[in-house]
Amino acid sequence: MTRLTDDIIIRAVARIMIPFIQIYALYVIMHGHHSPGGGFQGGVILGASFILYLITHGLEEARARMSELKAGIFSASGLLIYSGIGLLCLILGSNFLDYGRLSLILKVIPAQARSLGILGVEIGVGITVMAVMFSIFFDISTGGIIPEDEEIKEENG
Amino acid sequence: MEVTVLIQTADKAFEILEKARNEARELLYSSAKIASETKSLEAKRAEQAFLSGAQHTKLAIRNYTLTFFMLFAFWVLLSGRLDLFHLTLGVLSCLLISYLSYDLLFANVRIGDIRIMFKRFFAAAPWFLSQIFTANLHVAYLALSPKMPIDPSILRFNTKLESDISWVALANSITLTPGTITIDIRDGEFFVHAIDKKVASDLDTGEMEDKIAHVFMEADHIYIQDILDVSRIFGELK
Repeated sequence: MTRLTDDIIIRAVARIMIPFIQIYALYVIMHGHHSPGGGFQGGVILGASFILYLITHGLEEARARMSELKAGIFSASGLLIYSGIGLLCLILGSNFLDYGRLSLILKVIPAQARSLGILGVEIGVGITVMAVMFSIFFDISTGGIIPEDEEIKEENG
Repeated sequence: MEVTVLIQTADKAFEILEKARNEARELLYSSAKIASETKSLEAKRAEQAFLSGAQHTKLAIRNYTLTFFMLFAFWVLLSGRLDLFHLTLGVLSCLLISYLSYDLLFANVRIGDIRIMFKRFFAAAPWFLSQIFTANLHVAYLALSPKMPIDPSILRFNTKLESDISWVALANSITLTPGTITIDIRDGEFFVHAIDKKVASDLDTGEMEDKIAHVFMEADHIYIQDILDVSRIFGELK
């Protein structure tokens, strides 16, 4: 189990670093179609910021900020955004993830619709990767035991 | 003629107003008296919780806006694209991040400190840089002299600083200065490794600690801030 670290330097520096790491992650996601980066890379950085919080502030505080349930919801909703945009293109009468067709809804030229569509897909990928990274680390650090399970076990015997 | 009438009526109006105000004040005092007598302990507690909650919300909003603007400056620095689309994206992501972690960046800062702290930080920065420069030269001399006259030792001292962020600032500026490294902080007690006597005696004068205390408005500044905090609440009570 990961506990609150008693090293005050690590805790304070992590506390200050985390918002900047998160904004950098979003920058990498949002500028993925102009510069190196994209949904996966930004999502990993975003997940790393939550993992850093877990390492420095312990399981209890991390759970208050981002629980297993939230991570699950986020991973599913990211996938929903991705596949939703893909299916939207399919419904509009073209191939899966062919963003050019989104110009019919967005009222812009196809090239710009491609740019916006890939941005939406990258946001979805980023959310999913962040949530999955965090839940993998969560599972490792708890050993797969969540507090509700422990309570049930105690009640049963 | 008309002017004097006007003045007289104004005077009368003022008299009436004053009377009404006095009566209202007496009413308010008496009602407050009754309320304070009849109010149960639980109601008082609830009110106190509400007041502290309001204080908390105010602090949260202040933290939120400060975090937002710092993150947005960082975003513009990273992005470098100043068109409307990218700036909107930046605003949205800064809103999201400051919602997620508004309580991280400014966790223990008192109200009204932050601007003075920034000014003092930039005023103190040249001193720290010069300190680092001279320490660099000293360590270079130690490394290059054939006898290598080092005398490593571990210093232990208690600090007068109070918040975690100032401890960290002191620890990191000690580590940043060549020749000294902060090993650990335990309940305000610093463990510092120094490479020789001169560096250790420089640290022992406590000049760096004083500078940090000045920047973070601690030790001698804390009492003034306490009085200011109380005076604001006192005015509202009056």
